[in-house]
Amino acid sequence: MNQLPVTEPLDPGTQADFEVALVSLNQWQLAWRRFRRHKLALFGSGLFLTMVAISALGPLICPYDPTYVPPPLHFCPGSLTQIAYNGCPPLTQGHPLGTTGSLQLDLLTLVVNGGRISLLIGIGSSIFAAIIGTIVGGMAGYFGGWIDTIFMRVVDVLLSLPILIVITVFAKAFGLGDWRMIMVVFAALSWPGLARLVRSLFLTLRTEVFVDAARAVGVSDRRIIFRHILPNAVSPIIVSTTLSIAGIIVTEAFVDYLGYGVDPNKTPTWGNILTSAQTYIINGNWWWAFFPGLAIVLTVLGINFMGDGLRDALDPRSRL
Amino acid sequence: MSSQPNPVDTTTESPERPLLDVRGLRTYFHVMDGTVKAVDGVDFSIPRGGTVGLVGESGCGKSVTAHSIMRLIDIPPGEIVSGEVLLEGVDLLKLPDDKIRHVRGGEIAMIFQEPMTSLNPVFTIGDQISEAILLHTVPKISHKEAMERAIESLQLVGVSAPERRVKQYPHELSGGMRQRAMIAMALSCNPKLLIADEPTNALDVTIQAQILELIKALQARTGTALLLITHDLAVVAETVETIAVMYAGRIVETGTVDQVLLNPQHPYTQGLMSSIPGVKKRGEALSVIKGVVPNPFRMPPGCAFQPRCPYAWERCREAEPELLHAASGAYSRCFLHAPEGASRLPAFEHVVSGTVSSVVGSK
Repeated sequence: MNQLPVTEPLDPGTQADFEVALVSLNQWQLAWRRFRRHKLALFGSGLFLTMVAISALGPLICPYDPTYVPPPLHFCPGSLTQIAYNGCPPLTQGHPLGTTGSLQLDLLTLVVNGGRISLLIGIGSSIFAAIIGTIVGGMAGYFGGWIDTIFMRVVDVLLSLPILIVITVFAKAFGLGDWRMIMVVFAALSWPGLARLVRSLFLTLRTEVFVDAARAVGVSDRRIIFRHILPNAVSPIIVSTTLSIAGIIVTEAFVDYLGYGVDPNKTPTWGNILTSAQTYIINGNWWWAFFPGLAIVLTVLGINFMGDGLRDALDPRSRL
Repeated sequence: MSSQPNPVDTTTESPERPLLDVRGLRTYFHVMDGTVKAVDGVDFSIPRGGTVGLVGESGCGKSVTAHSIMRLIDIPPGEIVSGEVLLEGVDLLKLPDDKIRHVRGGEIAMIFQEPMTSLNPVFTIGDQISEAILLHTVPKISHKEAMERAIESLQLVGVSAPERRVKQYPHELSGGMRQRAMIAMALSCNPKLLIADEPTNALDVTIQAQILELIKALQARTGTALLLITHDLAVVAETVETIAVMYAGRIVETGTVDQVLLNPQHPYTQGLMSSIPGVKKRGEALSVIKGVVPNPFRMPPGCAFQPRCPYAWERCREAEPELLHAASGAYSRCFLHAPEGASRLPAFEHVVSGTVSSVVGSK
């Protein structure tokens, strides 16, 4: 990239002003400049955003309704040799990813609609967790004392809970299956890690002189936490939240696969599609499990590449 | 000076009352090894528009004094054990939190010692100055007006192209520029008192002189009182009228600049003055104060300076005197100026007059 340094157009009267001619970039502009140079991160973000776009636009691009059960077929469309009971393979007429065994649902429709819920749970609970974790960790780190003690003991307790067992117990107790409930449970169980991170950031940042300087001009505690300290701590929070999306998608798929997550009869997710698919693999239907699995892998890989790039780009010490 | 209503001044003004009156201030830090009495009974006052220098070596409690006045001490581990900080008759130490916020920045502003770290790296200079203006201007003004005032205040402190500087981030400015921006921020709300905590420490010598000139000029123009905290005797000599020398959390000598610097009456001040290198002393070994500052957990009995003091005798280990009126007109916390020390005073005076000539030579 042979870019000339960006300069502000000089006023005709101040031709000699070489001192302040450079454009001032804020932290986001600087971060974007670094992120742009990270090719793998750009690729990862593209992958992730494509998955999000496909899932978001799902109903518009899918020819079938996800709940539509086609009438039973004996042979796959366009083929007289392929028996339909085990599902039709990819590239079958009308079914680019093939169909499922048993009910012969369109797999593309299923994967796209499953992605809606999987991504929604991943992104939604990560954002929830980020908000709770930031507020709790920020207050604990800034105020210290008994607030810190109480909040951090709650964090310790929550971190000691094994997430899979808690969800299993929840499922048994409340008969889960609703994806909104799953999202809340994931949010409630994943904020403590972030709260610890934010607390440690705040512990360091609150001793900075600029925090004292802000207090010395009469800025309130709330404003110091959210306007003065938080922008300095936001980079690690963003990186950690991004990476936690990947973690939650994988864990959620696992929970679904075990049968304690979202109810496959009500809402498809990448995880619960895999559960239904597993018995048909031995019958030769590999695509039913392959495509939702591929979707999970691509999404998680994209997020991890993106998170890696964000970590480099948002680090104020790295000057590329 | 300031047209805005004062939210905390509930009493009537009297001309003879000082602007700031610190009485018996004690700030302790409770840490793992015990209690550090960082400030242990400090009294001083600043008249309206007056300038006071608080001098002492590192760790003597001068910064803690300033932070206690602003109530910026972290509690815990800190604790303001006793004392009063009266700003126009109102005790700042007893004000509720929302009231003290009006005082900070509005009535008392502070400049910190490191301009490199005292500005928030993620905000522009203009954002930070206008934040202070927005907080303390009554009635409320718009962001645009606040930004215009920020530009004006930058102009006032001699920053070139202020309308562009307000859009810049702290890392784009030099140390001197940042300190000017801090001063602009401090003075933008017309405070009654400016506390400058070693404002020139992190700057190089030419910039130091500029910043001090600037503080002096602005102080004279706006009539703001100044509390200058420094360990640099040359800085106070040029900038303030009254001086208070601190040692181990106590003021040991106070008086006008001429009284204290030209004719020090406390053995510690005398030691400080004679350890300044000067042209006249070329070739001689520098005189030093023997020993080290006492361990804050194990203060010596009596006078804190007594183990290092060449004039100390038994009386000094028994008790510590009040600030006593010395012959020079200054006040000194030393038994030499009490009746029981009268016989020893001539020996001290002799050394002092010897010191004075070398200091005057260097001044």
